[in-house]
Amino acid sequence: MNAPVSPLPSTRQDAAEGPIRKVGVIGAGVMGAGIAAHVANAGVPVVLLDIVPGGAAKAVERMLRADPAPFMHKSAARLVQAGDIEGGLPLLADCDWIVEAIVERPDAKRDLYSRLEDVRKPGSIVSSNTSTIPLAALTQGLGEGFARDFLITHFFNPPRYMRLLELVRGPATRADAVEAIAAFGDRRLGKTIVHCKDTPGFIANRIGGLWMQSAINHAVDLRLTVEEADAIMGKPMGVPKTGVFGLLDLVGLDLMPHVAASMKAALPATDPYVTGMREHALIARMIAEGRTGRKGGKGGFYNREKSASGESLKRAVDLWTGDYRDSAKARLDSLEAGGKDLRALAEHKDRGGQYARAVLLDTLGYAASLVPEIADSPADVDAAMRLGYNWRWGPFELVDRLGPGWLAAALREAGRPVPALLEKAGERPFYRVEDGRRQVLGTDGEYRDIPRPESVLLLSDIKLRTQPLARNGSASLWDVGDGVACLEFHSKMNALDPEILGLIGKAVAMGKKGAFRALVVHNEADNFSVGANIGLALFAANIGAWGEIEGMIEGGQKAMRAMRDAPFPVVGAPAGMALGGGCEILLHCDAVQAHAETYIGLVEVGVGLIPGWGGCAAMLRRWSEAPKAPRGPMPPVAKAFEMISTAQVAKSAAEARDLMLLRPTDGITMNRDRLLADAKSRALAMVEGYAPAEAKPLRLPGASGMAALKMAVEGAARLGKATPHDEVVCAHLAETLTGGKRADHTADTTEDQVRALEVKGFMALLKTDATLARVEHMLETGRPLRN
Amino acid sequence: MPSYKAPLRDMRFVLNEIADPARLRALPGCEEVGPDLIDPVLEEAAKLCEEVLFPLNRPGDEEGCTIENGVVRTPKGFPEAYRAFCEGGWTALACHSDDGGQHLPHTLSMLVEEMICSANLSFGMYPGLSHGAYAALRQHGSAELRGTYLPRLASGEWSGTMCLTEPQCGTDLGLIRTKAVPADDGSHRITGNKIFISAGEHDLAENILHLVLAKLPDAPSGTRGISLFLVPKFLPTEDGRPGVRNGVSCTSIEHKMGIKASATCAMSFDEAKGWLVGQPHRGLAAMFTMMNAARLGVGVQGLGVAEVSYQNAVAYAKDRVQGRALNGAKHPDKPADPIIVHPDVRRMLLTMRANIEGCRALGVLTAVEHDVAMRHPDAAVRQAADDFVSLMTPIIKAMFTDMGFESAVTGMQVLGGHGYIREWGMEQYVRDARIAQIYEGTNGIQALDLVGRKMPSHAGRLLRRFFHPVLAYIEEKGEDERMAEFVLPLSKAFGRLQQATAEVARRGMGDPFEAGAAATEYLKLFGLTALAFVWARMAEAALDKAEDDPTGFYRAKLGTARFFMERLLPQTGALTSAIMAGGKSLKAFEEAAF
Repeated sequence: MNAPVSPLPSTRQDAAEGPIRKVGVIGAGVMGAGIAAHVANAGVPVVLLDIVPGGAAKAVERMLRADPAPFMHKSAARLVQAGDIEGGLPLLADCDWIVEAIVERPDAKRDLYSRLEDVRKPGSIVSSNTSTIPLAALTQGLGEGFARDFLITHFFNPPRYMRLLELVRGPATRADAVEAIAAFGDRRLGKTIVHCKDTPGFIANRIGGLWMQSAINHAVDLRLTVEEADAIMGKPMGVPKTGVFGLLDLVGLDLMPHVAASMKAALPATDPYVTGMREHALIARMIAEGRTGRKGGKGGFYNREKSASGESLKRAVDLWTGDYRDSAKARLDSLEAGGKDLRALAEHKDRGGQYARAVLLDTLGYAASLVPEIADSPADVDAAMRLGYNWRWGPFELVDRLGPGWLAAALREAGRPVPALLEKAGERPFYRVEDGRRQVLGTDGEYRDIPRPESVLLLSDIKLRTQPLARNGSASLWDVGDGVACLEFHSKMNALDPEILGLIGKAVAMGKKGAFRALVVHNEADNFSVGANIGLALFAANIGAWGEIEGMIEGGQKAMRAMRDAPFPVVGAPAGMALGGGCEILLHCDAVQAHAETYIGLVEVGVGLIPGWGGCAAMLRRWSEAPKAPRGPMPPVAKAFEMISTAQVAKSAAEARDLMLLRPTDGITMNRDRLLADAKSRALAMVEGYAPAEAKPLRLPGASGMAALKMAVEGAARLGKATPHDEVVCAHLAETLTGGKRADHTADTTEDQVRALEVKGFMALLKTDATLARVEHMLETGRPLRN
Repeated sequence: MPSYKAPLRDMRFVLNEIADPARLRALPGCEEVGPDLIDPVLEEAAKLCEEVLFPLNRPGDEEGCTIENGVVRTPKGFPEAYRAFCEGGWTALACHSDDGGQHLPHTLSMLVEEMICSANLSFGMYPGLSHGAYAALRQHGSAELRGTYLPRLASGEWSGTMCLTEPQCGTDLGLIRTKAVPADDGSHRITGNKIFISAGEHDLAENILHLVLAKLPDAPSGTRGISLFLVPKFLPTEDGRPGVRNGVSCTSIEHKMGIKASATCAMSFDEAKGWLVGQPHRGLAAMFTMMNAARLGVGVQGLGVAEVSYQNAVAYAKDRVQGRALNGAKHPDKPADPIIVHPDVRRMLLTMRANIEGCRALGVLTAVEHDVAMRHPDAAVRQAADDFVSLMTPIIKAMFTDMGFESAVTGMQVLGGHGYIREWGMEQYVRDARIAQIYEGTNGIQALDLVGRKMPSHAGRLLRRFFHPVLAYIEEKGEDERMAEFVLPLSKAFGRLQQATAEVARRGMGDPFEAGAAATEYLKLFGLTALAFVWARMAEAALDKAEDDPTGFYRAKLGTARFFMERLLPQTGALTSAIMAGGKSLKAFEEAAF
């Protein structure tokens, strides 16, 4: 395997010179093991110890099989050194940072810390991943020296994917230790650091826990079905579509009593979190019956059962009887009324509206009462809930959607206290934009700029203070400073359409005239681009507008070539999914700076098509020039065929390097907020003496190669691995990748010739009913059709 | 007095030479459907329509329906005709054999319906509504309800209605107020008022079954909170006879412009006993599954009226002598030439004829797909056929009924002043035809259905079922020189339709007002292009046979096809211009200025 060890951080200097070069993690449970894996993802060696002999090694093995994968690349597992706590503690001697993630018992943790004092090196930092125990209780009796080196680092599950890292420092914690961990967490682990006060549950679990409790209580009181409760919580409030009961199924119902007990022990008896606690007989019964959610296998609030005829039925618990019934989609007038307008939802008279209002009053009133007790700024609370619970809006952003005055009046009307912060806000929103800067209302009633960590560059910030250089309905071109322009997609799902292609052409023309020195292709949506707008293509195909479709493909090829041949550097900076046409954009960039969580692939065969915007030609080029690839005309063709014909998608930027979707020279950034800045520096570094890459011809095998690929596909079909239409699609892919019947490995085939074959194959496939059925199925279900 | 002869020759032509008879015969239960079966059925139907129903049409219009103490009487002769109709098995023609029906293909019953509509549109309403109720109950009713009611609907002993409209709502059924309260015995108590209920009360059948849209107590607001109930006029006894009178009554009948022999009733439901049909709150969806059939049926009403108007206009134009032909006297022996020599009279007659024959062929092709959608064993084939029917339904409903009214007016015009006189019968067709443009979803609603629902559905998959076959046909016949005079105009119209479709879809995505503003012209453009497609195919079928053509049938086909291509199809150009102009002028006009 010629894969890189792991994605390296954005700037290599950090790795060499940073104070944290080796990490220890104690406790190989879900959190500890996940943290260790993620440290390894950052390319940093890590020791993982567990109390159970052999437990850490088992955890690493388990993680190599887990989905979603804790490791970004299998090779990262090699950076994890597994051991037992008993006898393994000396392995921590050269660790710069030791994370404790053992059982949530202060005595056990303190006992471990005192043993650490004998082995850890001077100046090393110790942190706990506790979620509820106050820092003061952990350092008790351990001496000043330990307290200076100690802090809490609270990760969220799963550590690779959740972007929040809560940091809690004690009064004795040294400032440089906090800075070192914050810097490492930010740049190397890619987390957003939120500094919390030393209070129970810190920020996210304090508010999130109360929210869940409130959402359950009111659902029972107002006699909502679990589907209704989850639908109200979901889209209107911006909670992930699991809602609250789906989330409980995901995390496990059995966790609830533990969390409640520890919060009850830590909080004053008058705290709304404690006064709102209730023991629901139903939940107790479900836990007793082992119906604790998805991991238990016996279902939770939702369950999948096989019907008599063998089809999978979705069932849901009746909150009153506790029995399963067929799941039924929520139908509430309030859901429609509140589709876009949160206040309309909260004011609606039906049970859904009453429910939304009750949960919002509880949750937002509570959050507002906790600043500054748990955090210095409402912006920190919002960041924690967005990144730790995946809420679309934090509590104060939700307050702004309702109106702070409306919420205060509603609380008053309900006979509830109005938090001081809310009183202070009056009718003013918590967030505003002033002179192109986003500001947040502080506890003193003044607005302040929201601080960004050093050298973080966000397109959303730039957009507040400048006008685009060019813009249409689907894309914009922004000046991101220092003579660098950023091309942003903003169509629905960032699907590539004629408008985006048009703006690419326009940007290239502007760059040629000197409007900027370098171009970055980047956006801050969840996904860089999910590919071409296949809805448009399908509609055009359905009305037989073949000329129009051919024009779309050729227009795309032209835009890609223009980008590649432009007289200035073009750097792609993707995050999230970059599929199909989105991948082809990256393949035509001069360099790519990818977020570590980038999922790249040429997935066209999933919809019965082949890459048509130069993706086939580009992959042939990549594999032909791969440093360690075997010689001869067939290996590059076979490699490209293998990945395109199986619609292979890299599950991380590191995996994308294996597939040559990223070049060895392309960079990887761990922190998404730093992606634009890193891409910009990369682009600027290329400006001096830049010349577009020369288009050298390819050597392709032609008919003989086609025959070989055909045999392989027929073999797969015999094994039931390829459907009849897969064979049709693969035949066109094979023809394109081998250069067509007339190509010969002794003669040159140009990329233009391959691109012409792409168009031919694409058009032929689009005229088949099976491909049209695949496209339609993908559009309507999001899943490929195997026909 | 007008006259009517069923157009059996043209019907056979369309069935056997344009539609693919093998496609029908391949369907389960249709193996025997060939000329041996079809011809006698059509001939018998023609006899009934010409001899029994047609003579009642004019007197029925003069007499109308009457109401006294909630009892509605149909015009003289209607009850006897209805009995003959039932005894002839015509109510059971398309009903399933489980229910005592003959289960013949929809294609055949559509042609029979055309004859009934030509002969007596008002009469046709009664069995027509029953068949709608039959289809809804058959598809959505419980086994018990089906067992009790379907055989009686099939035999015609009992008739049916559809109770949707209320005083405050027609198109927007989300606003209905009729309530359904569950009773202890599993039935419901229905209370509310319905209006415009065709065949709501009459003296033709011994019991009337109302299918009623109502809201359950816990119903969500809007169209997703409507349920469908079966409410019989008389509750059936144990042995299935009409028993106790239910709490449903007719409070009045409407005084209408046309179809006067069809009783249009205001119905009052007062704690009437009813049974849920299908799922709670899914009533509108249940109604929609039979909406295609109902709307196609209304389209056929337009076709039927157009045909009878045309026949009488032709008879008059050949008989009436006035003036001389512009290119020299044709009948110097007579005091004047018959008016059929005049170009404008010929234009009127050919316009009617080209539209009627085109629509008949398009209707039959759609009916065949309807049968395929209902009966084909392969789900993918059923789906493709259903797509086509769904797509064509708003076009057929709106285009056929517009054509029906226009043909009635044109036919009246041919008769000059006499057309305006009641005893000639032509003005009745104008009045009768008018309703078909309005009910079962106004033609404006049909156009919205086409651009708002059918066009975007599945990213245009429904469109594919029309566009791809036409494209293939144009490509296939493009080289055939004899076909050039038909294929070139078709190709031109098709190009316009493609262009307009892409444009309306594109604009509509950004602003639904734009799609709505283009809807009616778009439907007309689509309809004309569809007629061009069937005319090209009819011309193709006639080309070879016109050489040896003793009756002149095929020569007439070719002549009509040429007229259509040269004189009617060019309207697609104007329609395209109007569509491309967009909705700005509609949007900008200030409401206060109206």
